[in-house]
Amino acid sequence: MRARLNKTWVLFSVWFAHMSAYRAEIVIWMLSGAIPLIMMAVWIGKARAAGGHTGGFNEQQFAAYFLAAWITQQLIVAWVAWELDYQIRQGHLSPKLLRPLDPMWEFFAGHYSERLVRLPFMLLIVFAGLLIVPGTRLTPDIWHVLLYTLSVTVAFFTRFLIAYCIGILAFWFDQATAIDDFYFVAAAFLTGAFAPLEFYPPALRAFIEWTPFPYLVYYPVRVLTGEAPGPEIARVFGVQLLWAAGFYALRSALWRRGLARYGAVGA
Amino acid sequence: MSHTDHSTTPVIQVRDLEKVYTVHEKEPGLRGSLASFVRRRKTLVRAVDRISFEIDAGQMVGFLGPNGAGKTTALKMLAGLLHPTDGFVRVGGHVPKERRTEFLKNITLVMGQKQQLLWDLPALDSFLVNQAIYEIPNDEYQATMREFSEILELEGILKKQVRKLSLGERMKCELAAALLHRPRVLFLDEPTIGLDVNMQVRIREFVAEYNRRFNATVILTSHYMADVTALCKRIIVIDKGHIVFDGDLSALVEEAAPGKTVRLELSENVSDERLSFYGKLTSREGLFADVLVPRNETSRLAARMLAELPVADVTIEDPPIEGVIGTLFAGTNRQAVDAVPAGAEQAAR
Repeated sequence: MRARLNKTWVLFSVWFAHMSAYRAEIVIWMLSGAIPLIMMAVWIGKARAAGGHTGGFNEQQFAAYFLAAWITQQLIVAWVAWELDYQIRQGHLSPKLLRPLDPMWEFFAGHYSERLVRLPFMLLIVFAGLLIVPGTRLTPDIWHVLLYTLSVTVAFFTRFLIAYCIGILAFWFDQATAIDDFYFVAAAFLTGAFAPLEFYPPALRAFIEWTPFPYLVYYPVRVLTGEAPGPEIARVFGVQLLWAAGFYALRSALWRRGLARYGAVGA
Repeated sequence: MSHTDHSTTPVIQVRDLEKVYTVHEKEPGLRGSLASFVRRRKTLVRAVDRISFEIDAGQMVGFLGPNGAGKTTALKMLAGLLHPTDGFVRVGGHVPKERRTEFLKNITLVMGQKQQLLWDLPALDSFLVNQAIYEIPNDEYQATMREFSEILELEGILKKQVRKLSLGERMKCELAAALLHRPRVLFLDEPTIGLDVNMQVRIREFVAEYNRRFNATVILTSHYMADVTALCKRIIVIDKGHIVFDGDLSALVEEAAPGKTVRLELSENVSDERLSFYGKLTSREGLFADVLVPRNETSRLAARMLAELPVADVTIEDPPIEGVIGTLFAGTNRQAVDAVPAGAEQAAR
């Protein structure tokens, strides 16, 4: 147990140092994920044009929703599909495979510690957003922040595992990242980053509810903003954990089969 | 190394090991691309073809062979990176492809062209990661670091960003990172590639010292023959996926180059024809001449040359190992024996 804690601590601290070296690039990546902020302006404009409300949302509710959606999108971002794809095809995975630790945990530590590098810039942007739309209340109390932290952590792990499964496909295909590009398009529409799911046609929403996408952004946002009542929060956690467990099992199965095909090129 | 590690059991056991790759082929140009788009042509490449050998604990073995011979593929199968197509392989009693923790804690594979150090951080950070992953106790880590720092002269470079290090400095750090957990089996694939002569010597000395200290088993591949001759008594030569030689380095030289070179410095000019009477004249520059003679007749022929020719100085040498290996790969070792002229045998009588 002590050795495990030590591993975790060392991996996070070393990867935090590594990610800190890229802090300027990280800010630029953050700005490239600004869709929720743009949509916030669009929907607030629409609410103003409709006399202050549209679809049950006022300006402050739109601001809270999209600011929370932006934070969530920032916290669940995962590039491991690209990293893994490259390392498998170029043989750079080999040194990691020689060590008695599943390489996934090192990638995970890199992603997780990168969140800490993002955090100060995120808080700055959220603070600016709250000033621009006076009266916006992001969250009702600290308990919702804590519940959100749990929910977004599971959401991040699920997104990370989805990306990992896509990256593993590089054992079979030359360019697995093409599938991750498709994920980005699907996620933009299906996670709720463009609009709250209340605005989607009922049939489409019913379909989306059976996918993992709303549990990555939409539902964690509802937890943070206090829109989700207690029973819904419990259901969201349950479904989130099921998706995470499902993708973890899929990742393990793909990994076992993929390793048998590893070419370990180069060297 | 493991529960199955007995003094009589070889650390590395390989029987009929085979690796077959599927390779996609495409003709160049647009037509080739279109044809490949519709139907990809696949060919099977037998990189390692049913090789067998055993290596005892503490042995240092040189893997030699031309590019593409299958050396690195074999090493990667032994290290568990590649899954064999067929055959039996055990390293310290473990099946490498299962990559069990106990196995991984006892091996290392150093690849001259692949790095494990984190590029943007000092090497010390990568060492700390390895210390945690391999669960190396603090006192053992400190002792190993002190030892490695002294032998590899790491002082002053451990706190520099890896990307700011020279190739030699980086390679020393890579080697230290790979051996920090004191593995008992070392797979070294071109560990001195691209390094200057001094650095090559230092790395060699370090590997030799490590072998002595920990009774480590070492398999080494290198294009620098000096690495192999300095470290390995036993040589396994692989060509086109097959083992073509497995034995002592001296036996390899005898088998592949059954001749020795008598290097003469003459005090006065002698015709090429007269020198050729004793053996094959391989080099002639003024009063200097190299004569290749059959190995088992070397002393008698050298004595006759001393008695019958105006010799100012004479030395007898084995042919350079590079040449021996080249001859072996070219499959011309037998021709080399035949090339020694019949006159040499007559002269020997």
